[in-house]
Amino acid sequence: MVKNVILSVIFLVALILILLKERKYCLRKCRANNHQHGASHKHGEWISIDFYSYASQIRGWNPVFKVSFAVALVILCIVLDNPYVSLIVIIAMAYLTIVRGGLAAREYLSVLMIPAAFIIISIFTIVIDISKEPAGHFNLHMGFFYIFTFKAKLEQGLLLMLKVFAAVSALQMMTLSTPSSEIIYVLRRSHIPKLIVELMNMIYRFIFILLDVSAKMKNSALSRHGYCDLKTSWHTFGRIAGNMLVISLKKANAYYDAMEARCYDGELVFFEEYKKIDKKLVISSVGFLIFLSIFPWITI
Amino acid sequence: MSKNQKRVLKLAIVFAVMFGITPAANAMHIMEGYLPPKYCIIWGAICLPFLVAGYFSLKKTISENRKSITIIAMAGAFIFVISSLKIPSVTGSCSHMTGTGLGAILFGAGAVSILGIIVLIFQAILLAHGGLTSLGANTFSMAIAGPLVSFGIYKLCQKLKVHRHVGIFLAAAIGDLFTYCVTSIQLALAYPSETGGIAASAVKFLAVFAPTQVPLAIIEGILSVVIIIGLETYAKSELTGLGFIKAGEK
Amino acid sequence: MAKKILQVEDMHYVYGNGKPALEGVNVEIFQGEKIAVMGSNGSGKSTFFLNINGVLLPEQGKIIYSGITVDKKNIKELRKNIGIVFQDADNQIIASTVMAEVGFGPMNLKLPKAEVHKRVEEAMEYMNITEFRDRPPHYLSGGEKKRVSIADIIAMKPEIIIFDEPTAALDPLNATMLEGVLKSLEAEGKTILLSTHDVDFAYRWAERILVFCHGKIIADGTPVDIFNNREVLKQANLKQPAMLEIYELLLEKNILNGNANKTYPRHVKDLRKLLEGLNS
Repeated sequence: MVKNVILSVIFLVALILILLKERKYCLRKCRANNHQHGASHKHGEWISIDFYSYASQIRGWNPVFKVSFAVALVILCIVLDNPYVSLIVIIAMAYLTIVRGGLAAREYLSVLMIPAAFIIISIFTIVIDISKEPAGHFNLHMGFFYIFTFKAKLEQGLLLMLKVFAAVSALQMMTLSTPSSEIIYVLRRSHIPKLIVELMNMIYRFIFILLDVSAKMKNSALSRHGYCDLKTSWHTFGRIAGNMLVISLKKANAYYDAMEARCYDGELVFFEEYKKIDKKLVISSVGFLIFLSIFPWITI
Repeated sequence: MSKNQKRVLKLAIVFAVMFGITPAANAMHIMEGYLPPKYCIIWGAICLPFLVAGYFSLKKTISENRKSITIIAMAGAFIFVISSLKIPSVTGSCSHMTGTGLGAILFGAGAVSILGIIVLIFQAILLAHGGLTSLGANTFSMAIAGPLVSFGIYKLCQKLKVHRHVGIFLAAAIGDLFTYCVTSIQLALAYPSETGGIAASAVKFLAVFAPTQVPLAIIEGILSVVIIIGLETYAKSELTGLGFIKAGEK
Repeated sequence: MAKKILQVEDMHYVYGNGKPALEGVNVEIFQGEKIAVMGSNGSGKSTFFLNINGVLLPEQGKIIYSGITVDKKNIKELRKNIGIVFQDADNQIIASTVMAEVGFGPMNLKLPKAEVHKRVEEAMEYMNITEFRDRPPHYLSGGEKKRVSIADIIAMKPEIIIFDEPTAALDPLNATMLEGVLKSLEAEGKTILLSTHDVDFAYRWAERILVFCHGKIIADGTPVDIFNNREVLKQANLKQPAMLEIYELLLEKNILNGNANKTYPRHVKDLRKLLEGLNS
């Protein structure tokens, strides 16, 4: 078990280092973007995962396969709850996304780090306990109370972190290679109520329309000193949001007319091209899943 | 190093980790893989009746007025975009609204349950906030519990003839706080404290997330009021146009 | 004589807020015509288009399509046979890939899947957007989106295609592309209605111009007639196309003498011919 702890601690240290580095990188990127608004990218608040998913080299893989593979992996991770399984999944997903998918390692890390803050805080909370008397294996006196923890708790926290990262990386393997429209297609195939699928299709499209609207309004507000101080900024934020709602309602009507003009009669069906399932891929991934699920019994 | 110095050092490390990272925390989406399988299923099951009710209310609205489908979809996209916009702040930290409280006030709690789960799915796949196995728990806290409280408080304030803007502020802020409490309890249930059980664990989670979530709830309340004021000043007629989404509620 | 394809009699339309948008529109449209629809903003052009497409229902009046009077039951025929390319592609494109978008209309026509596939491929080929087939609309440029929105309609193979201000917000390259598309559609015998504020473009492209003003058609005639009618131009806030003005100036200054049959030059090359004819 000491092995487990060492493994996880190394992982944690690496994580924090990456996190601190990424934060700097992101902040720099943010600032750079603020300075050259509009020119660097089309949407003021663009969605990087969406962009990467279209650029991925494994985008051509059948979406039903990708989604089921990712979901199976996530379920295996949380059901088996085994640090080695988690580690294998983390490595395998990094391989799929970076080597096969062709996403730059730095971009992959920055996406993987999005939930890192939540993970670290919440695991920290699980690990520690508070009491007036010193207890447990490790103590920290904080004036009138003690923060303490047990070895077992510490280990549990570290293993949980590995598990969460494994599950997250499996999910992101899917999102970084499968555009939302294809994920929605998979949902439709899996008999989610039609109305929900239709709404999802429209909402996905409308999200980008509204992002575009908000980016334009933000630029125009910036050009009129709408963000000169905090109070003005909040005011501007509220105005933009309110105006966006009005525009979205107008656009909703215009959209409905445009859909009706193309013979829409209450049923939203899109033309889709079937993507071939690569048999070799399915066999190897099923093999991988089976390997993972029997793994805990081989090692112990 | 003396004992005291060691203590100070330890304390400094704890705080550095806590506050170095917290400003980046968003609304409290429970991550993929965080909950044990049992809780994924339980929370999903608890959401189900609310989602079914929301689904039928939406379906009724749309069958009464087919044109409302694009409006409902726009409302969903609006909630997503609102929750993805960076709130202006002095420190340059990244915080976001949940948008569901405002959504409940504008579109009604029934519509928001379905729109909320859709928005959560998109947040998971487009923004990497939350996940698929934790979808049930997140839906309950953000798309059902929070909006229901917001909607209830908003209606209550209307009945008690509280000033409209105060009502909106309270609805959005308390709805947000309630979401944060529910999430903390969800986390505590899954990971009870060794010594104090679930209650102690809940207190821990509430305490740890308080520095980010309490100010955020107040900001959410203020911004919701600012948005409504903005709407009232130049879009009275459009606001009444929203009425029929609410009409399908009852 | 070409076949009469669409006839509108005394069409009235009032918007929900009680503002009348159309007040008695009468027009006959023949197969293969190239019609420019002009008039200031809010004069009723777009409302007229939505009415003849069957999206809006006129309060009063009759629409006769290919000899059949349109009522509530066969209104779908109108939508099938008349396609609108909307002004703002961002208010039209609904699907999240180009291919699904172009297939949206044909799918709604309930065509067999193979036929839909064929039409989608053809339309994408036609508009030269095949390479974008899997791309989502939010990663396309304005001109590319316009091309997608035209392919949308072409895939439905309507008899009449309406372009609502297609030249607005297009760069010169895309505007040239658009004129090329119009030319090939016209060669296929499609009837085209196109609204525009660009008098030069209307003058050079159209065979016939309808002028809208306050919900009525105040003039209907050839470009030369319309643009020589000062009264109409003033009422509809239009101005003369540069080519026409130059030609009249040349006549006035006696550089050109009013040739017997008074053929008005529509393109620069026509004017060049006239001027060169002068020298020889």
